[in-house]
Amino acid sequence: MVVNRPEVVIYVKDADQDFLAEVCAGIEEEGVLFRVQSHEGDLDTLAYEAANESMLGSGIGICERGLAMQMMHLPKGKNVFELNEPAFWQCRNLGANSARAVKKMPFRAVY
Amino acid sequence: MKLIAGVDIGNSTTEVCIGAVGEDGRFQFLSGASRMTTGTKGTLPNVHGIKSALLEAMDRIRQPVSAIDLVRLNEAAPVIGDTAMETITETIITESSMIGHNPSTPAGAGDAVGELLFLENIWKGKPGTPYIVVASNRFSYEEAAARLNQYIPELDVRGLILQADEAVLVENRLSKKIPIVDEVRHIRKVPEGKLAAIEVALPGTSIRMLSNPYGIATLLGLDAEETRSVTPIAKSLIGKRSAVVIRTPHGNVQENVLPAGEITFHGEKDVNINIDSGADGIMEALSSAGEIRDIDGEKHTNVGNMLSRIKTSMADVAQEQDSEIRITDILAVDTLAPVEISGSLAGETCMEKAVGIAAMVKTRHLPMQKIAERLEQELHVRSTVAGVEAVMASLGAMTTPGTRLPLAILDMGGGSTDAAVLEADGRVRTTHQAGAGELVSMLIQTELGLGSRTTAEQIKKYPMGKVESLFHMRLENGAMQFFEESIDPRYYGHVVLLAPGEMLKIEEDIPMERILEVRRDAKRKVFVRNALRALTAVAPDRDLRKIPNVVLVGGSAEDFEIPEMLTEALSEYRIVCGRGNIRGTEGPRNAVATGLVLSYLG
Repeated sequence: MVVNRPEVVIYVKDADQDFLAEVCAGIEEEGVLFRVQSHEGDLDTLAYEAANESMLGSGIGICERGLAMQMMHLPKGKNVFELNEPAFWQCRNLGANSARAVKKMPFRAVY
Repeated sequence: MKLIAGVDIGNSTTEVCIGAVGEDGRFQFLSGASRMTTGTKGTLPNVHGIKSALLEAMDRIRQPVSAIDLVRLNEAAPVIGDTAMETITETIITESSMIGHNPSTPAGAGDAVGELLFLENIWKGKPGTPYIVVASNRFSYEEAAARLNQYIPELDVRGLILQADEAVLVENRLSKKIPIVDEVRHIRKVPEGKLAAIEVALPGTSIRMLSNPYGIATLLGLDAEETRSVTPIAKSLIGKRSAVVIRTPHGNVQENVLPAGEITFHGEKDVNINIDSGADGIMEALSSAGEIRDIDGEKHTNVGNMLSRIKTSMADVAQEQDSEIRITDILAVDTLAPVEISGSLAGETCMEKAVGIAAMVKTRHLPMQKIAERLEQELHVRSTVAGVEAVMASLGAMTTPGTRLPLAILDMGGGSTDAAVLEADGRVRTTHQAGAGELVSMLIQTELGLGSRTTAEQIKKYPMGKVESLFHMRLENGAMQFFEESIDPRYYGHVVLLAPGEMLKIEEDIPMERILEVRRDAKRKVFVRNALRALTAVAPDRDLRKIPNVVLVGGSAEDFEIPEMLTEALSEYRIVCGRGNIRGTEGPRNAVATGLVLSYLG
């Protein structure tokens, strides 16, 4: 039997490690589990497939210095939030928002 | 055939109605329109709004404005309403003695006592002394955790206070489980070296020790007198998810009662009442004073300033001398307002007692005749001032299907609530009462602590829903609504107002249930109370039961729940009460304009 943990999925490709660390911190502070995994594709694909892989329906794609947050059932390319060359606080809040999407809480400002 | 236009200038809207009278005296309604009132009711800038409303109404029947034979304006009641709010208690923290707020994610659980110690000075700590460590956001969560882990084996660290929102992150990296409070904004004001108690509630509960005076006494070792003085602290921490209480020799939280002052009613006899006695006491004093000539407040007190402020602003509008402006009615309502505690460390708020007051000012006369003259000049159409507002409103309300004489109308506008009874023999009794839609908006704004009046107005007007996913929302009545297209993520998790054609987001994080409660409460406090007061004043022999039917007209009668509230409240007196439907088509609007056209026939 395959058991999926309830977690936010983060698909990364050549991701900026500092950005990734901030995103993870944002999710962790909200008390939600997450998993980081390498994946192939462009930013939209990473985020879209991460959201559909997550049993919580919330995923993040990080491709080099670009980040996107996506939720299940949203069309590919229609990311909930998208950041390019962001500041650290933006990454932190993007991570927090992926967790808050699960907790059905209002999003924090990321822009 | 002659075309007659009725024009009603209200506090917020200008309404027109067009009727045609045939040679044989037969009468027919043709059109109507409603526009925002331009300028203050009863002043020359109104002409602009009247013209555009007439244009719109005539456009509907494809005729030029010049085809109108006669414009009839209402003799507007010379009353203007205003509202004000005054808090009568205030809470002050002296010497930074507590922190109590609701960070979204504190960490750990339980309570602890120790001496406050800044993280940068942790090397100064002595083994054996219990400490509560304070860390500013200069330290990242990794640094803070590493430093603490380094000292935990030798020092007795019992709790942690953080400036950044990183409690969970630090906790996950600590080698020892301790309660952690975060998001403390003014962390520099925390006094180092003092004894402090810290508590974080278990998930889903609120704190237990620090919201209890004896709990604080137990943790900080206070004697009976000191326990007495921390009671306000305990009180203001009730319901919080985390808290810190610091033992400072002179530190305290004081609840001051502001010098609220007295109101004097100058009526058949003069009656004084202190604001402290609350809304019920004030209203009782008001009715015991009989017919009111004027109302004023004690000089140099909150209420005195408030009433004189209302008079001054009214004097500007009516261009009369201050002394000729008289407040003839007030409506007082008890309320609670969340106010940020002065001297707070983390933006704590406290519910302060407040009184909301709507006052109604009677001026001697509104210059309606000047408006009629200006209108005649600009439109080249004969214009006259005809008929008293309340009489016209009753005539118009009579066109509601299912009504009969004697008929009472309740005109609920923005500034005042007016009532009139039209008897079978044509006699009319009228009254104007302070307090209507604007007071409701003000109550909603203060009780919810909203930043803008506009948001409060919108909460008053529209039903709500909470966006629970990107594809559905839960409406205030519990129903679900689904969407084909995904909702904009900015709305996610927020309470939204369902205005026609769009959703309006409420920025403040307030549960939907709370907004619903405050909204209904505010409407009930103002409108039900005022309806009973106004109808009693005009009822035959001041007996409500002698009024068979009440027609609700005016802007607030269009509200989605006020008419139902009144229908319910008045059914106790066996009164048929409901939203008017002027001419069977217009709803509660346009009563006065319709009455003006009807009265032309005599």
